[in-house]
Amino acid sequence: MTNLYLAAFYNIALSCVLYISDKKTAFNKLPYIAKQIIFGLLFGLIAVFSSTVYGGINIDGAVINVRDASPLCAGLIFGAPAGIISGLIGGIFRFFATFFGISGTYTQIACSASTVLAGFIAALLRKFMFDNKKTTCIYGIGIAMITEILHMLMIFFTNMNDVSTAFGFIRNCTLPMVIGNGITVGAAVGLVSLIGKAGTKTREAQKTQKQISQTFQIWLLLCIIVAFIVTSIFTSVVQTRMSETQTEAVIEINLGDVYRDISDASDKNLLDKVSDIRREYLEGETVNTLAKKYNVIEVNIIDENGVISNTNNVEYVGYEMASGEQSAEFLVLLEGEKDHYVQDYRPTSYDNKTYRKYGAITLPDGGFLQVGYNAAQFGNDIDAFVGKVAKNRHIGKNGFVVICDESLDIVTEDSKNYGKNISSLGLDIDFKNTKPGEIFEIALNGASYLCAYHFVEGYYIIGTMPLSEAMHMKDVSIYINIFTQMVIFALLFVLIYFLIKRIVIDNIKKINSSLSEITNGNLDVIVDVRSNEEFASLSDDINSTVSTLKRYILEAAARIDKELEFAKQIQYSSLPTKYPDCEEIDLFAKMVTAKEVGGDFYDFYTIDENKVAFLVADVSGKGIPAAMFMMKAKTIIKDLAETGMELSEVFERANEKLCENNEAGMFVTAWMGVLDIVTGVVSFVNAGHNPPLIGTCGKKFEYLKTRSGMFLAGIEGAKYRQNEIRLDPGDRIFLYTDGVTEAVNEHDELYGEDRLQILVNSVEKMTPEQLCTAVNDDVDKFVGTASQFDDITMLCIDYKKAEDTVSNTKNEITVSAQIDSIPVITEFAEGMLTEAGCDMKTITQINIAVDEIVSNIARYAYAPDVGDVTVEVDITKHPKAVSVTFTDSGKPYDPLKEEDPDITLCADERELGGLGIYVVKKSMDEMHYEYADGKNILTIVKKL
Amino acid sequence: MKTEKRLDGTELTIKVSGRLDTTTSPQLEAELKQSIGGITKLVFDLSELEYLSSAGLRVLLSAHKTMDKQGEMIVKNVNDAVNEIFEITGFIDILTIE
Repeated sequence: MTNLYLAAFYNIALSCVLYISDKKTAFNKLPYIAKQIIFGLLFGLIAVFSSTVYGGINIDGAVINVRDASPLCAGLIFGAPAGIISGLIGGIFRFFATFFGISGTYTQIACSASTVLAGFIAALLRKFMFDNKKTTCIYGIGIAMITEILHMLMIFFTNMNDVSTAFGFIRNCTLPMVIGNGITVGAAVGLVSLIGKAGTKTREAQKTQKQISQTFQIWLLLCIIVAFIVTSIFTSVVQTRMSETQTEAVIEINLGDVYRDISDASDKNLLDKVSDIRREYLEGETVNTLAKKYNVIEVNIIDENGVISNTNNVEYVGYEMASGEQSAEFLVLLEGEKDHYVQDYRPTSYDNKTYRKYGAITLPDGGFLQVGYNAAQFGNDIDAFVGKVAKNRHIGKNGFVVICDESLDIVTEDSKNYGKNISSLGLDIDFKNTKPGEIFEIALNGASYLCAYHFVEGYYIIGTMPLSEAMHMKDVSIYINIFTQMVIFALLFVLIYFLIKRIVIDNIKKINSSLSEITNGNLDVIVDVRSNEEFASLSDDINSTVSTLKRYILEAAARIDKELEFAKQIQYSSLPTKYPDCEEIDLFAKMVTAKEVGGDFYDFYTIDENKVAFLVADVSGKGIPAAMFMMKAKTIIKDLAETGMELSEVFERANEKLCENNEAGMFVTAWMGVLDIVTGVVSFVNAGHNPPLIGTCGKKFEYLKTRSGMFLAGIEGAKYRQNEIRLDPGDRIFLYTDGVTEAVNEHDELYGEDRLQILVNSVEKMTPEQLCTAVNDDVDKFVGTASQFDDITMLCIDYKKAEDTVSNTKNEITVSAQIDSIPVITEFAEGMLTEAGCDMKTITQINIAVDEIVSNIARYAYAPDVGDVTVEVDITKHPKAVSVTFTDSGKPYDPLKEEDPDITLCADERELGGLGIYVVKKSMDEMHYEYADGKNILTIVKKL
Repeated sequence: MKTEKRLDGTELTIKVSGRLDTTTSPQLEAELKQSIGGITKLVFDLSELEYLSSAGLRVLLSAHKTMDKQGEMIVKNVNDAVNEIFEITGFIDILTIE
């Protein structure tokens, strides 16, 4: 027994070890076929081991082993080739082992063939039923069991001429081998599955829903089991009944033979006697003498009328033969067709308790002579014969026939029990309640026997047959039947499963994979499963659904495209196209959108006569949301900026507004500047936007890299720093969005800031429009065949103030900085202002300003020395304004820093001085002071 | 700048015409110094005044302070330009303007 365990253990252990090696070690890296050969060889070795006495148990010459488990393990767990290889090794070894006396010859072909077959079964099932994956424990057990049953059947079929020996083998081997192999393969597959599962837990999710194939397998298995049980029971019942009938027939035949032998012998004996008596009667002997001489009870002479005319029993004289049923039978002799008649031993007509046997022969003068005797009389004559009749008779192999006389004493000659009552044999038969020829069961020497009897001529003939022998053929046929059914049902299971899988499941999978492709967006996929009508129509339906869907999507897309086009137009139309009609600046902006509507925008507008605001911004993201956010941002910024508030405040407030309800988390980067066209001062704020390029006249463009604030709509409460630069006439500002610097060519290279800077510096001085076009062209050239990803927005402003002054006449005067010079300057300025058509009030205000400022310079700038003051008067048309610039080389002094006097004080408290600059501040629109090149430069601006 | 004075008892009316600026204010200041003594009511008629600068304001304030001690000072016939200066500088609250 240990041997069997050992072989089973080797199979299981090898399965686990090889499985782990294949998963966890470098063994995995071997080529597939090499691994398969190794697996096959190793399992083949175990199969060889199982075939020897070390790996099996010998029971009555039959070796019980688990050889078939090895190729099954190899094939089911590791792969078809491995299964086939190990099956071949095991099978071939088993075949040749007989020649060296290692294994028996009786099952040589069956065993070797079944091992080879096991390899192929495993290989085929793995390939066609389990999708080339290892199977489950239950299947392992089932497959191994069926394979063993097949093995048993093959033992039958290869030994058809000696069924009972084969049956003996099978009866001994079936259970242990089926169970042994089943457990071995089941355990191996089960353990390997456990090891596999320990590594991956993902299978849990799949278990919530059964696959069609699983449901189908369960139901198919149930149906097959039910069918199997029903047919098995049916077969068993039919076979048992058939065996009984057959046994009955066998017993009946034997009993009949004996019966006829005895009755023939008895008839012949009687006829001989009748013949002798008739001869002597015709010679003249009396009936009484003859009866005595021949020791018979009756000798009757019946006349031609069927009446007893003469008899040794006086009371019978005159008896009409026709009056009794039994006696009437003899009347056939009077019809002349027969000359003799013998009756079997039976009750007589006139006394049914008296048993007689009668025989008769016709007499030459008509009528016939009838002789009757009883059993005791004829028994003496035929006993010797009867004793021999059943002497060598057997029913089947171990059945026999016993004959006993009326007192139930055995008369069969060879029986050791001759003369004994049959009950001493254990044959207690209730003759009264059992009909002759009826089969019944009887216990004899502890074994069951089937039994029947006949009664003839005063003898009981009893035939028996051991039940086991009677049922032997039934058992054999039931075994074969059940085994065959199991194999057929298993085959059927696999076949139906395979067909369903092929026809239904595979097609469903095909359709599913097409559908998932469609779901992933590829609407061009065509489902084409045409193996049968149903799937063809399903495919057609899906295809037509998809094509309808596709049409709808295209229509929807076309509609959306159209709407996007509208949106784009609205977006475009919101951008200013009318450039400021102002000679001091030349401004141009350009926006090239990518395919979709985008979030870029530019804007410019005049805040007041002298101030032009301009900005470029970029909203995060693209599409309709970005476009809508852009409109919002643009409107908010413009509304705020037009109030004339400081730019930093504009951005701070715009940020607050944009942060409100900004669930979409969008944001805007923006760079906004306000140019004072009179002074060239640009105040600007940067909210996370790309630094603009500043091109100073005659110099190169440089990036204006100031510290940037947070982008708009990013954080509530963000603060923005406002900076200022001063443009000289001819200076330019170039603003752009990241669509320029982040344009990508087909090599995934960025256009970049350097490339932009190099480009704008490489071109001759251009108008803003030319410059924007040049940049756009260069970006297009750089991008090449790659598609434009982002909007490209540019804005360029050229500050041309110098060309905008009213006249080229000399507009400045330099005088000695003294109080006396004031009227000279006033007169000069007044002259220019009058010429320019200024109104009286402005002239007065300018005069006062000149008076105040020059008097200040005269008093303090050079004191105690004397110096010059230069007064320049500029009159600009756009915006209409006068600016007067006072330049002196005196001590640095910024009058704008003076504190304003408190004008609410009463007369007594008020200082006499300090009012001059205050008055100027109040009456002028702008005042600027700067100290440059050792000069105080004070500019006052008065709008006209 | 020109001044025209008319004395009526202790009431002095000065009519200032032209421009009262840095150059001309010292002149008015000097004239006032001469004639203000003993005056109880000083009236400035500014109907002819084109404009005045801070220097002129200074003269007016100085006269106002003096007159506060010896009587009253009235400014009349103020034109728009001058009134604007008064407004800017807060003189409108200090001076008595008719």
